[in-house]
Amino acid sequence: MNAAWVTGGAFALAFVFGAVGNRTNFCTMGAVSDWVNMGDLNRMRMWLLAIAVALLGSSALQLAGVVDLGKSIYPGPNFTWLSYLVGGFLFGVGMTLGSGCGSKTLIRIGAGNLKSLIVYVFLGIGAYMTLKGLFGAFRVGVLEKAAVTLPAGQDLPALLGLHRAVPAALIGGALLAFVYRSREFRAGFDYTLGGVVTGLVVAGGWVVSGVLGHVAEHPETLQEAFIATNTGRMESFSFVSPMAYTLEYLMLWTDKSKIVTYGIASGLGVIAGSAAYALATRSFRWEGFRDAEDTANHMVGGMLMGFGGITALGCTIGQAVTGISTLALGSFMTFAAIVAGSALTMKYQYWRAGA
Amino acid sequence: MHHDVELDARGLNCPLPILRAKKALNGMQSGQVLKVVATDPGAVKDFQTFAKQTGNELLQHAEADREFTLYMKRK
Repeated sequence: MNAAWVTGGAFALAFVFGAVGNRTNFCTMGAVSDWVNMGDLNRMRMWLLAIAVALLGSSALQLAGVVDLGKSIYPGPNFTWLSYLVGGFLFGVGMTLGSGCGSKTLIRIGAGNLKSLIVYVFLGIGAYMTLKGLFGAFRVGVLEKAAVTLPAGQDLPALLGLHRAVPAALIGGALLAFVYRSREFRAGFDYTLGGVVTGLVVAGGWVVSGVLGHVAEHPETLQEAFIATNTGRMESFSFVSPMAYTLEYLMLWTDKSKIVTYGIASGLGVIAGSAAYALATRSFRWEGFRDAEDTANHMVGGMLMGFGGITALGCTIGQAVTGISTLALGSFMTFAAIVAGSALTMKYQYWRAGA
Repeated sequence: MHHDVELDARGLNCPLPILRAKKALNGMQSGQVLKVVATDPGAVKDFQTFAKQTGNELLQHAEADREFTLYMKRK
């Protein structure tokens, strides 16, 4: 199968996510902000709806035999609990300082925010340093030492000895019930649009990598492969390591072993989709830094997201939607840690406001 | 429009305009008006939600020269 189908499919799905994310103001950091600062849960419900749709859709694909979620990085036996907690928490701090998570950074870039372009660069460098550089030594030598091996895997069906349909239906159903209990949420079309499209994009992302990109026996290695991926595993949407690999691809352009991957194409797709929506609705506007403190916050925020996103194996989409769609225990922990890190940072920012 | 306190939130993105407005309103008397100038594209939506949730009234909002000007009355 041609790698172009994989990268093209990833770009197309990401384009839709970028356009809809811009229109609906889908923002995981905004979800925490609305909840913590105003007591409004609608954007949190949008995020939870995305999780529910991704979980139910991905589980259906798994049960129908279309994809094997066990071939992704999330439900593996190495349960690095400290990495999920520390990485998730620092990612939450970073996304609050940096005007949004990885996907929101891409959406903001598409809409003309130059601050988010700087966040992208610092996030990509921080992520690369955590993958292969200075921070990587700390990640592997310290944080990942705190790990438990779960031989059957860390996904809830394996841990609880249940058929996948049971936890998927219970958790997905509970989330849907919570989300749609709100009359205001039911009345707001954009809320449902943002949540459902994000969830469907993640479920569709598994099909792109797990079906279009699946090679049962690669002719060069004679082993199973998921082509055009950076992890070598089945992928769906995640935005931190792809930013590192995008910078690497641009810097090592003449190295012919470097190719456009699923992750690189998905990041570009979100920017393009958001830009298309912003231009079509005449909402595109250039934004720049306010002052030195604002600049420093975004640089630090980007670095923290880069470090946290790699350490925790994903971001507010990569772990909290894509990871949870596999029912991996670490994904639920990361989600909680991100929300905690973000909420506490907002408390600090409120205390500092006007100081 | 008359205002008692002004908050310059230009160049700031979510959540800072809301946080600073919240803190400013906390230091004001009931009935006083806060003027906010912001550039975040999501500012109007954010302040509409803030008004609905907190009971502080969003009296008026307008856009000119890529800036949003909002007036909010302390409840």
